[in-house]
Amino acid sequence: MARAADFAIRTQALTKRYGDVGALVDLDLEVAAGEVIGYLGPNGAGKTTTIRLLLGLIRPSSGRAEIFGVDCHRRPVEAHQRVAVVPGEANLWPELTGAETLHLLGQVHGKVDDAYRDELIGRFELDPSKKVRAYSRGNRQKVLLIGALMSRADLLLLDEPTSGLDPLMEQAFRVSVGEARERGQTVFLSSHVLSEVEALCDRVAILRQGRLVESGSLSEMRHLSAVTVEATVAGEMPELGGVSGLSSVAVEGKALRCQVHGPIEPLLTVLMQSGVASLLIREPSLEELFLALYGRNSDHAGEH
Amino acid sequence: MAVSLAPAAGTKPAFRARTVVARRTARRSLRAAVLWGYVFGITVASSAFSYNTIYKTAAERRRLDLVFGANRAVAALFGPAAHLDTVPGFTAYKSSMAVMIIGAVWGLLHSTRLLRGEEDAGRWDLLVSGETTLRQAVIQALSGFAAAAALVWLITFAITAAVGRASSVRIGVQASLYLALALVSSSVIFLAVGTLTSQLAASRRRASSYAGVVLGLSYGLRMVGDAVPGLHWMVWTSPLGWVEELRPLTDPQPLALVPIVAFTFAVALAAVYFAGRRDVGGSILPERSSREARLRTLTGPLGLTFRLMRSSMTSWVVAVAIGGLLVGITAQAAGSTVVGSSVEQVFTRLGAPGFGAKAFLGVIFVILAMTVGFQAATQFGMMRAEEAGGRADHLLVGAVSRSRWFLGWLVAVALSLLASSLAAGLFTWIGASLQGSGVGVGSCLAAGVNIFPPALFILGAGALTIGFLPRLTGAVMYAILGWSTLAELVGGFVAESHWALDTSLFHQMSAAPAVAPNWQTSAVLAGLGVLMAIVGHQALLRRDLEQE
Repeated sequence: MARAADFAIRTQALTKRYGDVGALVDLDLEVAAGEVIGYLGPNGAGKTTTIRLLLGLIRPSSGRAEIFGVDCHRRPVEAHQRVAVVPGEANLWPELTGAETLHLLGQVHGKVDDAYRDELIGRFELDPSKKVRAYSRGNRQKVLLIGALMSRADLLLLDEPTSGLDPLMEQAFRVSVGEARERGQTVFLSSHVLSEVEALCDRVAILRQGRLVESGSLSEMRHLSAVTVEATVAGEMPELGGVSGLSSVAVEGKALRCQVHGPIEPLLTVLMQSGVASLLIREPSLEELFLALYGRNSDHAGEH
Repeated sequence: MAVSLAPAAGTKPAFRARTVVARRTARRSLRAAVLWGYVFGITVASSAFSYNTIYKTAAERRRLDLVFGANRAVAALFGPAAHLDTVPGFTAYKSSMAVMIIGAVWGLLHSTRLLRGEEDAGRWDLLVSGETTLRQAVIQALSGFAAAAALVWLITFAITAAVGRASSVRIGVQASLYLALALVSSSVIFLAVGTLTSQLAASRRRASSYAGVVLGLSYGLRMVGDAVPGLHWMVWTSPLGWVEELRPLTDPQPLALVPIVAFTFAVALAAVYFAGRRDVGGSILPERSSREARLRTLTGPLGLTFRLMRSSMTSWVVAVAIGGLLVGITAQAAGSTVVGSSVEQVFTRLGAPGFGAKAFLGVIFVILAMTVGFQAATQFGMMRAEEAGGRADHLLVGAVSRSRWFLGWLVAVALSLLASSLAAGLFTWIGASLQGSGVGVGSCLAAGVNIFPPALFILGAGALTIGFLPRLTGAVMYAILGWSTLAELVGGFVAESHWALDTSLFHQMSAAPAVAPNWQTSAVLAGLGVLMAIVGHQALLRRDLEQE
């Protein structure tokens, strides 16, 4: 049986309410040490609330949250010792320089890999002698990223970490997260950039209106959605009315384009009767999964 | 619920787009303008009506005029008094200085908040990216301020004119217009000064500090001009001196409007000129965008707090030291006229019995206590700004506990207040000894230490509030300050208002060096401050951090 300390993050019925509004409701989430997890959801879904609860910055209305087995609310300072954070807003002290900010963040965190910090400054092309006031939004974001990564903390909590970064710097970020993964660090990545989550994460958790609606690996989640089939048959297009699980069917001569929910064999069996000239089966991207999931839930929401 | 964002029927979209800054400035000034117009008007009304209650006979009024009219101590503190044997004379005298100072402070804080503060927050970018330029936007903002000042003037005038119709007051419409104009003048001047410093400085804090220096110098110059025989010409070197020289209701000198208007226009023109010569987000006074890192003191939350407070701390200590020096210089001349006069009664009511430089300095240290109290409110407000701006999160997600962060701020602000208190004592003594007043260094330093506990009390009240209602932290501290200041002003002059004085925080301390400090009372004030801070600390540990 896994011990509490084996989980980088563990929440049990974690709930945060503001009056009657549930910003986060009954969140049960376990993130294993060394895992890279994507945390998805539209604006206001409760992603930042989760991170602020994990950091003890706000108090849970009920439930509990632990970081490496340490209660985030009761022993926040102890919990923070193994965590580094990139917050959602790049609010820094305008009168300090980049170097001073990094020094301060290092002092506050208590440990810094100096060589790695210098490497990151080079990788992200940051001029640390500039005052924060003079930095662009992207450069402020770089300071926060370097500040978190340089600590080599066991758990990285990243809230929209590439906000304001250009594509080259996004690439640098992906390299850095890859390095963290190789070192066995746990990464909790809250992001709207689905391609980034798809490229980096072992697992995704999806929130909607404060509730966890899906959680699993990408391959597991793909079973939840349809695959896209594009086929051309050698003979006449067979009758598809009896095939179960088809939707968005478009037939043009001998070409077929459709979505298949569930097993694909029945469709293949029917197509084989006419001879298959070409066949392309494409799994849904995370973006399609996300949109399908939200479309489905929105429909449900609309029914209430 | 459907929300319409379309312009109202009949308006011209292009015109609306080109005046958006002016309308936004006027709209954001509206509440304050109504408030201050009302406060100014009520100040006039209460002065006018209280006169008949306090000074009932012609003999009492003549005595008041004889004593205060020639009193340099009173002139230094509250401006020259004239025709105090009449309701208009007393009304003008009672209203002018308080309104002049409050109006000037509002003007500079309001303009720097709406200009440099908005620019700091990045919202100015959105406004200037519309159908306007930075220069035009500043012209628009000035128009908005002018509209706000006009509203203050109108409300003050309306209340004054209504009060003036009373048979016991008798202030005519024309005189009411002129009085209201005099009362709003300092606001107008410092709205313009704040607009200029917002172009010069790269941050709101710095813009407010520069405008504050202009205000401090203005007050100091007119004070020396009013207090020291032969130096009256110095009044004409000060914007506040020009306002004073308008002399409403007694001996009107509209000529003094010339430097006021000329200065305001010159400052506004300079602001518009400089706005056209800088980038949005930039400043005229150079600020290096990069420099060598200074890491020695940046060792944690306390080091950071001192770094953040450094310029504020220096400004306050220097301002209090200069203020102390100036009043110290005037103490001997001003205090010599107190003896045997009814000013002595005012000083006695304020807790500084007797006469001479010591009595005068006793009242001065009450004013310095208010100043250091104001410093406590501003500096502790910076802690709330750290939380509201989300910067405190960077510390609290590390190995820094809330207790350590909170205590760091309390210690840093308390040390800053102590430094100002000691500077007040030391520099007042230097000023006083330059004029041979005979007040000892020990007395002055003790008087300086004596103003520290009330400031600690205000700090404690702020700490208590931040624990429970963080968004009200500033409001509570300023409310205590505002009420206590008002109580001192009213209670000092109105014998029947001792209850008001009793509610003033500053009346709880001894008016040293006029009397010996009461260290027991000081310990109680300081102890209450510490107690409130402890309760506030416990509450802070149990609440969510609140960003804005």
